[in-house]
Amino acid sequence: MKQFLTFVFVLTITMTAFSQNGIVRGIVIEDESGFSIIGANVSVEGGGTGAVTDLDGAFSLSLPVGTYKLNISYISYQTIIIEEIEVKDGEVNVLGEIRMREDAEELETVVVTAQAIRTSEAAILTIKKKSPAMLDGISSSLMKLTGDANAVEAAQRVTGVSIEGGKYVYVRGLGDRYSKTTLNNVDIPGLDPDRNTIQMDIFPTALLDNLIVSKNFTADMPADFTGGLINIETKAFPDEKIASASVSIGYNPAMNFNSDFLTYEGGGTDFLGFDDGSRDLPAGAAADVVPTPISVIGGQFTEQEANDFVSSFNPTMAADKQTSFLNYSASVSIGNQLQLGKSEGANQDKGTLGYIFSLSYRNDYTYYDDVFYGEYQRLAQSEVNELDYANIQEGQIGEQNNLIGILAGIAYKKANSKYRLTAMRLQNGEKRAGEFTVDNNGSAVGQSGFLAVSDNLEYNERSLTNILLNGTHVFGDNGWELDWRLSPTLSTSDDPDIRRAGFSTNGTEPFTINAGEEGNPARIWRSLSEVNAVASVDLTKNYQFKDKKAVLKFGGRYTYKERDYEILQFDVQFFGGSQSFPSGDPNDILVPDRIYPVGNVYVQSGNIFPNPNEYNSTASNTAFYISNEAEILPNLNAILGVRAENFVQRHTGRDVIHAQGGDGNNLEDEKVLDALDFFPSVNLIYGLTENMNIRASYSRTIARPSFKELSFAQIIDPLSNRIFNGSLFTYSDWDGNLMETRIDNFDLRWELFQSRGQLLSVSGFYKSFDNPIELIRIPTQQTSSEFQPRNVGDGQVYGVELEIRKSLSFIAPSLQNFGLNLNITLVESQIEMTEREFNSRENFQRDGEVIDDTRAMAGQAPYVINAGLTYANPQIGMDAGLFYNVKGRTLEIISSGLYPDVFFRPFNSLNFSLNKKLGKDQNTAIDFQVSNILNARLERVFSSFEAEDQFFSRFSPGISFSLGVSHNF
Amino acid sequence: MNLRLLASLVVMLGLLFVACNNDDDDTANPNFNAPTLSAPTGVTSVEADGSGSVDFTVSIDSDLTATYSAVGTGVTVTNTSGDVSGSTVTINYDASSVAGAASIALTVTDSEGQSVSATAVLNITDENTIVVTSNITSDATWTADKTYILGGRISVESGATLTIMPGTVIKGEAGTGPNATALLVARGATLMAEGTAQAPIIFTSIADEITPEDVAAGNFASPNLDPDINGLWGGLIVLGNATISASNDNNEDISEVQIEGIPTSDPNGLYGGNDDADNSGVITYISIRHGGSNIGEGNEINGLTLGGVGSGTVIENVEVVANQDDGIEWFGGTVDIKNAVVWNAGDDAIDTDQAWAGTLDNFVVVTPSGSCFELDGPEGTYVARHTIKNGTVVAIFGGRVTGGSLIDVDDNTPVDMENIHFVGPLDSDGTFLTITDDEVGNTTFTNVTFDVPMGDLANLMEQGGAVPAGISAGGSPVADVSVLSWTWASQAGGLDGL
Repeated sequence: MKQFLTFVFVLTITMTAFSQNGIVRGIVIEDESGFSIIGANVSVEGGGTGAVTDLDGAFSLSLPVGTYKLNISYISYQTIIIEEIEVKDGEVNVLGEIRMREDAEELETVVVTAQAIRTSEAAILTIKKKSPAMLDGISSSLMKLTGDANAVEAAQRVTGVSIEGGKYVYVRGLGDRYSKTTLNNVDIPGLDPDRNTIQMDIFPTALLDNLIVSKNFTADMPADFTGGLINIETKAFPDEKIASASVSIGYNPAMNFNSDFLTYEGGGTDFLGFDDGSRDLPAGAAADVVPTPISVIGGQFTEQEANDFVSSFNPTMAADKQTSFLNYSASVSIGNQLQLGKSEGANQDKGTLGYIFSLSYRNDYTYYDDVFYGEYQRLAQSEVNELDYANIQEGQIGEQNNLIGILAGIAYKKANSKYRLTAMRLQNGEKRAGEFTVDNNGSAVGQSGFLAVSDNLEYNERSLTNILLNGTHVFGDNGWELDWRLSPTLSTSDDPDIRRAGFSTNGTEPFTINAGEEGNPARIWRSLSEVNAVASVDLTKNYQFKDKKAVLKFGGRYTYKERDYEILQFDVQFFGGSQSFPSGDPNDILVPDRIYPVGNVYVQSGNIFPNPNEYNSTASNTAFYISNEAEILPNLNAILGVRAENFVQRHTGRDVIHAQGGDGNNLEDEKVLDALDFFPSVNLIYGLTENMNIRASYSRTIARPSFKELSFAQIIDPLSNRIFNGSLFTYSDWDGNLMETRIDNFDLRWELFQSRGQLLSVSGFYKSFDNPIELIRIPTQQTSSEFQPRNVGDGQVYGVELEIRKSLSFIAPSLQNFGLNLNITLVESQIEMTEREFNSRENFQRDGEVIDDTRAMAGQAPYVINAGLTYANPQIGMDAGLFYNVKGRTLEIISSGLYPDVFFRPFNSLNFSLNKKLGKDQNTAIDFQVSNILNARLERVFSSFEAEDQFFSRFSPGISFSLGVSHNF
Repeated sequence: MNLRLLASLVVMLGLLFVACNNDDDDTANPNFNAPTLSAPTGVTSVEADGSGSVDFTVSIDSDLTATYSAVGTGVTVTNTSGDVSGSTVTINYDASSVAGAASIALTVTDSEGQSVSATAVLNITDENTIVVTSNITSDATWTADKTYILGGRISVESGATLTIMPGTVIKGEAGTGPNATALLVARGATLMAEGTAQAPIIFTSIADEITPEDVAAGNFASPNLDPDINGLWGGLIVLGNATISASNDNNEDISEVQIEGIPTSDPNGLYGGNDDADNSGVITYISIRHGGSNIGEGNEINGLTLGGVGSGTVIENVEVVANQDDGIEWFGGTVDIKNAVVWNAGDDAIDTDQAWAGTLDNFVVVTPSGSCFELDGPEGTYVARHTIKNGTVVAIFGGRVTGGSLIDVDDNTPVDMENIHFVGPLDSDGTFLTITDDEVGNTTFTNVTFDVPMGDLANLMEQGGAVPAGISAGGSPVADVSVLSWTWASQAGGLDGL
């Protein structure tokens, strides 16, 4: 590693007051490592002024209007002269990243133009090629160049990254369990608290400093990722004044301006992403005994109270057709940096102040007109291969999604200290209405056989509030650097008033409510709140090892998470008499004439207190690490490190039997996970030539069960009726003891870097999983679909990965603006089946079928292909890309024997994006995108020996178009 | 210096969290906090003529003093007023002798005149009422001098025997989903519920005002609930180790499955095995009423659920009235039932699954909302036949019409139906009820008669299909109802003329 850290104060730049001035800014980084160079000299050729780069490698020069040449020099590096730097009155000329190369012998000088710095090699180069950890990323200069609007668009340019649902980013085809996303290097829960990864489409690129994807672990990273760690870093000091506004519209022919769109009358503030209280739980509903005919007989309530109670539930139970509008979004971003204390004559550095602010709003409509949920079974006769349906639910779903995002940050930097405070708030509401027909097959196992219609209404309200306080300090010339962070986050996810109502339609009486068939109408309230708090301290010491630079890092991090979760559920019941509804309209169920005591409708509580569907979990993780990076042999760099994490998860919850007053299971803040783990990591990089490396690494990582997985919760998906069971239930051969998965990772990689950011690499990797967790369909439950996360047999994953980033100029020089990104990962995964699983598969063995005692690992795709064809022409401000992504057929849910394995079918995602900057100063940009060009469908299927695949679920997202305009003022 | 900064930031952050909890606003008096008062959540139970105390939690502005006053309804408060000291006010009371709801209203007034009230809800239980909340893990006996309240899903666990004396009344508390109540006899457990025709054992809802005294006096009908009110509690579930046909039989592993109506979080819900002579006890003269609450979508509890129950078990003289799901449902097993009435089932009346290998002999079915017979075959390769004989079915009566089929068999249902008569009329609003849903393959009929004109018989077949052998028009009721005279159905006149 190069000696890039010498600590020098930023010199005060004295403004010349008598003439008109402009500002020139840039960041000086070391070419090989991508790290900032602190203390490089920046001088104006032929002039007296100059600057020294600060702890970010940044410099800022205030110069009179004119054209300048800058000379940038640093000991043992090639001097760079940048020509044709124009300084205009009151404007900031941002040079971007200036890369210096070490050149101890020749000390030659490189001369480039300002334009070249901004638009070519330096900016496009994103790989930190000599970084000992395998990193890939996108810098703000590249994002600026490509014009990507948000972090997802930027991330799809990183090789090896797959985008799911336009929001979530995964690495190497490993699922959510093995991925992790952090914001400014701290854990934050996503809007969907059951995911490890956060949705990235909410971060506008204007406010991002960089996005780094780490494919292997080093000791300074959290140990709970295995596939990839994605870190989003927000800007602290914008290079230039940002004052931009953007609007965009989206159109999907199947979803927008569709008169069949389904919705329902919600609250007055739904468009702002939260409920106005109209879906609140009715008063008195969360009591041990609610007013019903039964409690009226018991003397606890009056008939009037029972009537009032039912009437206090919103009578809307039916989905409503309403024409959907266009998708639209708008955002404003501002930001700047100000040099303080530059008043005339002052010779005192009062530092630099930076601020950012962004407000965005989005309204999206999604409509699926052919939703399908199926349950298929194998037949008892082993000579029959084809599957038979147990239950088919088909229909339409309409979703309206509103998102408001606010991000604000303020930062202050002096010569050797930097502070920043960032706050973020996301508010998201999703209103969903569905209409289905149900066909239940009476001759299938465990099914009663009926035809029905059903309406579902849901509202999901989510919020996320995050604050980050961060300080960085360098201590003079002694090579020490300190970074500390404090970051609390509060997130909520509530489903107030989920409503479902179904009518049986078979037999002679149309539209009856039959408890044994489609079930009684139900109302469900779910709420979740989670607090996260992170405090971390990292210390870095730069020193000499055998006359070469070496870095020692150590630090600690404390993470605390606490989640409260509760489900309350209610059933509409009938106190004798008729349960037929000639209209078949769910809105006719809770009408005054039918409500007890006038009619026979009442609402019964499904809740016990203490509630078995309520839990509180906490997790604390205390981590320390030490890591050393040094060139131990010529051209052989090594990072050796170890991280210790002491993770304690506690749970307060109980099962139904305890809640009802029996013994049962009851945990009061008891430890459900308690482990001190050491995570060693060895990363070796051997430089074959300056542009060619061989890397080898070993690390140990962990995947821990989530709060939901380590609970007694039983969560029913109101749409599909599938039930999730927490793993704490002891059942049959499951001991209720869900353990962490520990993973040993081995990587070997050869890589070649070429000019203009071109890259070629071949890697092999091997991962061994100790006690992997998978979602199991409970084999003995045949009446309904119940699932439970369990540890399964040990697993192994091995694969090869090919990465290419190539300019097409090798075909013809005229194609130099075209680039090809290609990443192919082939993976073989293997899990040793438990005896139970093997037996239940053998029970349903078809004639001629061979049952192996190993199978693929759930969630691991056998191959992942990411390909991108890009066109970038900074001269005319145009950037376009065609991105293709596919993940091989992936096992998702493990067979119970009766029900076969469920696989996720390859989704051939092809997206196009085009950005064009307009205007003299390229201040206006147009962003055009087409998503899912191949009109692929999201399909999960049951798959059995020599049988036709049958759908487990199916959605058609359709092709969507969006057009956006942004302007920087 | 920087570490000091860090430490102070941590403290500040902590203060921020603490501060968030202190945002109560007191609009009443800006100088003093208003008093707050809370009653215990839930209902406190006390025996009739007993006494007890209730703790209210109170907070008073530290600069003020306060007094309290308490008023009891259904109870006599012994300390009706006093000064508040500390954060708890304890009210002592004597319960009245009448069972039912009671309450204590407490008002706290501080020296600034600010007052706050809260009410604690009490339930005065009959001293002859026992609330059962724990699983039965050792032998127990329930006697007719008391009423037993099922406070939840109560399992008699393997190895334990529950003996229920004749004339005992068992009532399930109200609830649905996880809150549903039921009595479950797990594999390996024994239920000895030997009622008599003079003193049957009644399983019903807490809403039913029937008492052991009523039963002793020969009044078996509910004094206050109509015989079509269902879904108020769960039901009686008996599980055993006999063979079930739940999958291929080439491996013994999947010979057990989870019973319908019980979530997999409760392993007591597993049934099935290979002991066809298994003995789950003796069940005679029991009447199960108003049950069938659900635990989830289409997952209800039957009136009497028999999962893998073996032939060593004796079940005779059983009545199921107004169950929200099926009346009696067998899941495999080998147990026989003699003398049964299923009246006003919310779904099917007689339901068989997983190759039950037993006999139902002498029974009456009256107006289920689903099918009269919902008979399914094996779900594995293990096949066994069952027999349903000597029965009378009333499909339409008193405004209630069977909502499903008269007989619903699958093409592989191995059942022999003998001497069964369907009482007319069998046509509702010009629409005939159908006999079968699927093809009749493995089913045999012997002397199965329908009280319809000969020419209408074909209309009873699904889509006007051919009439299977053994089915004919005419006939007369065949069940011997004299042995069913003890039932509510009989006492209510529901079996008259049969």
